[in-house]
Amino acid sequence: MNEPRVSLAQGNGGRFMRELIQDVFVRHLANDDLDTSLDSAVLDFPQDRLVFTTDGFTVQPLEFPGGNIGSLAVHGTVNDLAVAGARPLYLSLNAIIEEGLPLAQLERIIASLAAAAQEAGVRVVTGDTKVVPCGQGGGLYLVTTGIGIRMADIQPRPALIQCGDAILISGPVGDHGTAVMLAREQFGLEGDLASDSASVLPLTSALLQFDGLRFMRDPTRGGLACVVHDIVRSCRLGVALDEWMIPVNGPVRSVCEMLGYDPLYLACEGRILAVIDAAQAAAALECLRALPGAAEAACIGTIIDSPPAVILRTDIGGERMLQELEDDPLPRIC
Amino acid sequence: MQTPHTDLGPTAKPAAPLRYRAERLRLTGRVQGVGFRPFVYRLANQHGLTGWVQNQLGEVEIFVEGCPADLEQFRTELIASAPPLARPLIAAIREAECQLLQNFSIRDSASQREARIFVPPDNFTCPDCLAELKNASDRRYRYPFINCTQCGPRYTLINAMPYDRPNTSMAGFPLCPACAAEYHNPADRRFHAEPLACERCGPSLELVRDDETIATGNEDCLHLAVNVLYDGQILAVKGIGGYHLLCDAANSSTVAELRRRKNRPDKPFAVMFPEGDDDDPLACLRQHVTVSEDEAGALLHPARPIVLLRKQASSVLAQNLAPGLAELGSFLPYSPLHHLLLDAFGGPVVATSGNVSGEPVLTDRNTAQERLGPIADVFLHHDRPIVRPADDSVMRRTGGAVRPSRIGRGMAPRELEIPVALDSPVLAVGGQMKNTIAIGWKNRVIVSPHIGEMDSPRSLLVLDTVARDLQKLYGVRAVQVLADRHPGYTTHRYAANLKLPCTWILHHHAHASALVGELGGEDSWAVFTWDGVGLGEDGTLWGGECLVGRPGNWRRFASLAPIRPPGGDAAARQPWRSAAAMLWADERDWDGIPDPHRIAYTAWQKGINCPTSSAAGRLFDGAASMVCGIEDCSFEAQAPMFFEALATPGEQMPGALPLLRHEDGIWRSDWRPMLPMLLDPHRSKQHRATNFHAVMARVIVDQARKVRDETGINRVGLTGGVFQNRILADAAMRWLRLDGFAASMPSVMPCNDAALSFGQVVEFAAGGGSQHE
Repeated sequence: MNEPRVSLAQGNGGRFMRELIQDVFVRHLANDDLDTSLDSAVLDFPQDRLVFTTDGFTVQPLEFPGGNIGSLAVHGTVNDLAVAGARPLYLSLNAIIEEGLPLAQLERIIASLAAAAQEAGVRVVTGDTKVVPCGQGGGLYLVTTGIGIRMADIQPRPALIQCGDAILISGPVGDHGTAVMLAREQFGLEGDLASDSASVLPLTSALLQFDGLRFMRDPTRGGLACVVHDIVRSCRLGVALDEWMIPVNGPVRSVCEMLGYDPLYLACEGRILAVIDAAQAAAALECLRALPGAAEAACIGTIIDSPPAVILRTDIGGERMLQELEDDPLPRIC
Repeated sequence: MQTPHTDLGPTAKPAAPLRYRAERLRLTGRVQGVGFRPFVYRLANQHGLTGWVQNQLGEVEIFVEGCPADLEQFRTELIASAPPLARPLIAAIREAECQLLQNFSIRDSASQREARIFVPPDNFTCPDCLAELKNASDRRYRYPFINCTQCGPRYTLINAMPYDRPNTSMAGFPLCPACAAEYHNPADRRFHAEPLACERCGPSLELVRDDETIATGNEDCLHLAVNVLYDGQILAVKGIGGYHLLCDAANSSTVAELRRRKNRPDKPFAVMFPEGDDDDPLACLRQHVTVSEDEAGALLHPARPIVLLRKQASSVLAQNLAPGLAELGSFLPYSPLHHLLLDAFGGPVVATSGNVSGEPVLTDRNTAQERLGPIADVFLHHDRPIVRPADDSVMRRTGGAVRPSRIGRGMAPRELEIPVALDSPVLAVGGQMKNTIAIGWKNRVIVSPHIGEMDSPRSLLVLDTVARDLQKLYGVRAVQVLADRHPGYTTHRYAANLKLPCTWILHHHAHASALVGELGGEDSWAVFTWDGVGLGEDGTLWGGECLVGRPGNWRRFASLAPIRPPGGDAAARQPWRSAAAMLWADERDWDGIPDPHRIAYTAWQKGINCPTSSAAGRLFDGAASMVCGIEDCSFEAQAPMFFEALATPGEQMPGALPLLRHEDGIWRSDWRPMLPMLLDPHRSKQHRATNFHAVMARVIVDQARKVRDETGINRVGLTGGVFQNRILADAAMRWLRLDGFAASMPSVMPCNDAALSFGQVVEFAAGGGSQHE
């Protein structure tokens, strides 16, 4: 009952706030470029082509099997830079804390954020902290903004995609979405279900060696289906996915079957989808599979010359259209 | 050239002119593309009458003169003896001035512009052609593509209107002199038979195994194809509206192999029986199934539909044709090719659509080779292109009459008339399952043949083609599109992308309006729309609704106590989900629920993906699951079909379920008192199934009585896929009528979702629907 919790006073700009920043944030995030006495960071860049992104994190619950909002806030932004062909260098961090959040939990989350940043080779160089009154926030919201530099001459983008290109996925889909949902709704399931939250930087770095690489994306919200629909929309070609080739972890598959969900619509936080010249697909796949977290990488489909649509082929010769996610999927069939 | 000598007056004419009279007749109805003009020509000559006949604006105009007695006889026979496919209606008769023509002639068609066009459906092989097919001295002896004005393909080979040979897929087959002579001879029954052909000039067969042609001559192909059947192998045959897969229906291991290759473990197969001689064309069929008189009539209809008939215990056919079901889909050969194959084989064959489950039947040689290659051992192709698919029609006796459950080859395109004329042409794209589309303009609505389940890209492609084709063939251009309000339907998205104004029609309003649109009447109705799922007015899933009113103005009067099956759409494949939702709602548990980790139960408690549904179909699923222990279904409505097969017709009305008015003003029948009965292991499955069906029929009677008490409405309609259930429909119809209700079910359109497109047009024409999603 008496565990220390974040209070409104810790967000008022005074001593308590300074102490909170020092004791929690700086203690974990300290680096040469982070100077909390300045309102801005001054940074050096080895070259002038910057890649820049930002992302907000509101996940519930704050901690879940395989990660928490802290590690997610690093991986989300780092991965957005990575799939754009960049090496992430710096992050900013905004923390909006709800009054009453246990300090120990905040500390766990920030420690996890720091570890994730270190692993990904990025530094948190500036930040901000706010405390909002109890009932006005979900415990903790984080916003990270990332800056990186381009790693290669090629700039993967949808415009490069051509008919016949192969579609690769770096690992099983739906882990993060399933794990978070089960944790949020307190299904009380023990077992192998954990978020895949991780930096995809090693994977994207490896793929950037292939000059036939067209496009990369991390399938987060809306899952694999959403990314594929984005591809179809921007390149105006069709996509054929081979359903039986798409890796799905056993526990994820059985939980989704039981709940009536399709893992193709559920979020990943440590996978990439890549479109690559079919001639280089086998080599790229081999290269991916040698990396940690990508042992189950697979070639799951092809870009086809057809009207823009996503077609899911089944191993028995059936074809169905994979629709875009509805806000609230309603049963359609009798 | 004879011209009347008006200056001398009629009395100066040589041939008993005083007794002569002349008439002009205008005929509407189905009079084009059915051999009507040659029939008029022959009839006039038979009665010694002179004059002419002409197609005009889609109608037929006749000028005829002669003795009054002959004229009268002519008029009578014009209707009574019309060709089987014609449906002539005399729109007007007026006295005309005698012209004393020397003969009777067929005049060239007047312009087709603004014509009242009818696109005829595909038909059987008529008795005259069948006789020639079997006559060794006829020049079309054993020719697999014999046809005439009274029979053969139509809809599936028409590229454009007017219906003339150059506008069909026969354009690539120039007529030989003998065929040309028949084609141009008004006295011949093949006068203007557009798909006319013979061995010399027409299409021919080709037999392919492992992508290699192994025979080409028609006789060689037929001989080898029949051997394929004898050998217990699977033969893909190109028919009228698409490919069929054929195999020996008496060979259960072949049937099992077909099931394995088609990945169709349980869904029933249809069986085609050889047609007997004139004494009894159904002789072979009667050895295996029971046929009533009206079912025989349906089997022999020129559409040659599949009719679901009760199996006979003595039948020696394979037991795995329709496992767990009491009925067998049965039909007769519908094309000369099928007659030749079946006669040579000498026994019944499985004849199932050559498609990937739920998709439209395949029509194109290369696609068939590619997609059916893993299933068929041998392909019997022919080179008459199929312009668009038409799957077999299906009928079943329910509610006291033989009614369609699928309109396809021979029955569609189907024209219906609506009482309120549309201001401008519309395209209605139907629903998601068993879909058809419709075009409507003025008072006319044309419904397409069955397209299929709309999940596959090929279904959508066929839908798009048929939508364009029907508009082109009938010369109308839709300026408004009608679709189901459910935003997840493929057809809803298709409609939204058409760049036309959209009107969204509620699923069950369309069902109810389809029924009233077919059965007519100015009165208000109480329509029971019972099916599996449809998006309702309140955002929940409907399907057990009693709607009161008329098209354009429906009010939800009564419903069923809702359930929340866990897993959404998964409930359609796994009936245990509905059982669980019914039992959990009554705070009961049951060891038949395969949910060891309580995942589904937790989701149900927390309301995760457990949408509220009042669908009767779900209750049938749940009850079937509780009684039969069915966990998974491999095809739609499998559990309720098994359940129905267990039930026997209820003789007496059982006790009533509670029917209470809820706060929202809607009466709801509460099914919970049935749960102990359904779970009672001391009662037989048959007893429980019979009782459930009877109680559900009683629900309809009780709700109808409430409607009558409150509104005085006495006309009751039953529609929605659930009423394909014969036990339910028969009992409900019988008890409603005993109770003094005027009860009816649709018999032109199916009661299932195939009727939605038509219902959307009726509902829209009456002012229904919404422009907002």
